[in-house]
Amino acid sequence: MGESHLQSYSGYWGIPEPFFASLFDENDIDLHRSSSQGQAYRRFESIAITAAESAFQRAEINPDSKNVLFIISTTKGNVEQLEKSQNPDSQCDAYLWHSAQRIAGHFHNPNTPIVVSNACISGCAAQLTAFNMLQYNDLYKHVIVIGAEVLSKFIISGFQSFKALSPERCKPFDANRCGLNLGEAAAAIIYSKSSETESLPDDTIIMEAGAVCNDANHISGPSRTGEGLLRAIHKVTKDFDTKRIAFINAHGTATLYNDDMESVAINRAGLQDIPVNSLKGYYGHTLGAAGVMEVILSSIALQNHNVLSSLGTENPGTAMPLNVCMRNSNTNGDAFLKLISGFGGSNAALLFTLNQQR
Amino acid sequence: MEELIYKLKEEIIDVLNLEGMKPEDIDENAPLFGEGLGLDSIDALELIVLLEKNYGIKLKNANEGKEIFKSVRVMADYINEHKTK
Amino acid sequence: MEQLFDIIATCRISDKEVLVNQESILHHGQENEQDWLSTIYHHIGLQYPKFFKMDRLCKAGILGAELLLKDYTYDHETVKEDWGIILMNAASSLDNDRHYQETISEDNYYPSPAVFVYTLANIVTGEIAIRHKIGGESSFYVMPDFDEELMRELLVQAFNADPKLTHILYGWANVDHDLYDVRMFFCRRNMKA
Repeated sequence: MGESHLQSYSGYWGIPEPFFASLFDENDIDLHRSSSQGQAYRRFESIAITAAESAFQRAEINPDSKNVLFIISTTKGNVEQLEKSQNPDSQCDAYLWHSAQRIAGHFHNPNTPIVVSNACISGCAAQLTAFNMLQYNDLYKHVIVIGAEVLSKFIISGFQSFKALSPERCKPFDANRCGLNLGEAAAAIIYSKSSETESLPDDTIIMEAGAVCNDANHISGPSRTGEGLLRAIHKVTKDFDTKRIAFINAHGTATLYNDDMESVAINRAGLQDIPVNSLKGYYGHTLGAAGVMEVILSSIALQNHNVLSSLGTENPGTAMPLNVCMRNSNTNGDAFLKLISGFGGSNAALLFTLNQQR
Repeated sequence: MEELIYKLKEEIIDVLNLEGMKPEDIDENAPLFGEGLGLDSIDALELIVLLEKNYGIKLKNANEGKEIFKSVRVMADYINEHKTK
Repeated sequence: MEQLFDIIATCRISDKEVLVNQESILHHGQENEQDWLSTIYHHIGLQYPKFFKMDRLCKAGILGAELLLKDYTYDHETVKEDWGIILMNAASSLDNDRHYQETISEDNYYPSPAVFVYTLANIVTGEIAIRHKIGGESSFYVMPDFDEELMRELLVQAFNADPKLTHILYGWANVDHDLYDVRMFFCRRNMKA
């Protein structure tokens, strides 16, 4: 723990400008899975299947049950297929629903998988969709939310054209921050329905509430006053004792605007004294996987009564002050707040608690 | 110089999708951002691409654009001085 | 049992025709020189220069929203926290992704930020939110076809999960290989339910 997977790449994938990112090793077997009939899956599907497999094994749940729903979170899926081939069969792989069906199909799940594609907030939006499905649809007992993203010339060149990437390891919330790093990842969480009478095992992580709100301001820049994020925070924390919150895992992409906006929203919500971290310094911004992966890391931290340090922050400096956690520390809190924002003006907040026998 | 200004106006209208506008509608001395055409941050980034693609001028970072894109005339002066194409 | 919500308006845009509340308002004739979406734009008298910066999916979505709300009286000035947008499609932003791919070809590599910004399916909900000041939930899903049962389920869940939610713009907005398929709806919570 405590090391960054981010490194510099030069001339990779034919991209003229060097970039800092967290990428899978090309030879990693998890990138090259195939079906039981020997049909090769694409990188995107491969990593999603690997993450889901691990989750089902740990949970000891049968993925082929009609009580299980698959929700896939991604921004671009197999978009690299647009370049790799003019073959219509390969181009079909670029359709997100097609990849989702291959993923769910690998597990012989009978339900049509749902794809959530809501820019950077996809991972959290997908979890909120899972929450609502379990709450209001009697058919489903378990929902697996798989967040996955692979990078490519398409994605990296695009962020470079935005001048949004930092030429070095990113520094979330830092006064000298200068942009984000991108990362590849796949992560899966299985949410299960529980009744109020059922007693849950100790250390179960519970999603208490979630909200998605739009700034209605600009398609690629966040609202300077954090309108949408503030609304989402208010929605999930009303009727909740915020003193229980051990930490806020923010989006913290290390761009000038995002980190400033989050600092404003957190202050306006009166939560500025709660320790804040960003995990982007470890794996970069993993886009469609971010919301899922960061909830997993935050959950494990909470189960261990830890607050993870915000790797990369040396000298906090945002529009409004934040209590940035710069060293791994202990906590007595039994809740965490996940914040995330993305292109299209979307913002999400998810509130989680730790089940503890008192 | 006047030729470059006219050509630049045409290119700006084209790359920024300023529908229905003609070069005659753009005042080369008026601010491009803020008032005037009311361009935004994405437009500024697109103008940076225009400088490189059409004139071979590569800016080191987006902030340099703030001074260069003050008006069409300021842009044209900069291009005259730095173009490599 | 009372309906949880009422559909107030519907609209449909295809390659051939535009229908509002199931009545045809425009046919795609051969005599039009400009593209179909621009033709619809001018026909309905929309004045929104940003339209011409958008990709085809956003243009189609903006036109759909405009048609749904044209006869509705609502607050245009303040951001409405009690309105939401839920859209889905099959092609996500692939129509524009192909366009972006052209700007990063090996022999002509000039990645375009103005094109890249539209390589996300949910930007259409963002553009609608900005135009009509909608500050509640905005969601985007990708499914093989318009799953009306899922759509209905998402609407019911949205209204149940947020008691303050009053209006939702929703539906299907797909643009792919020069084909337009927009089926959008505007609904309002039934206060009596």
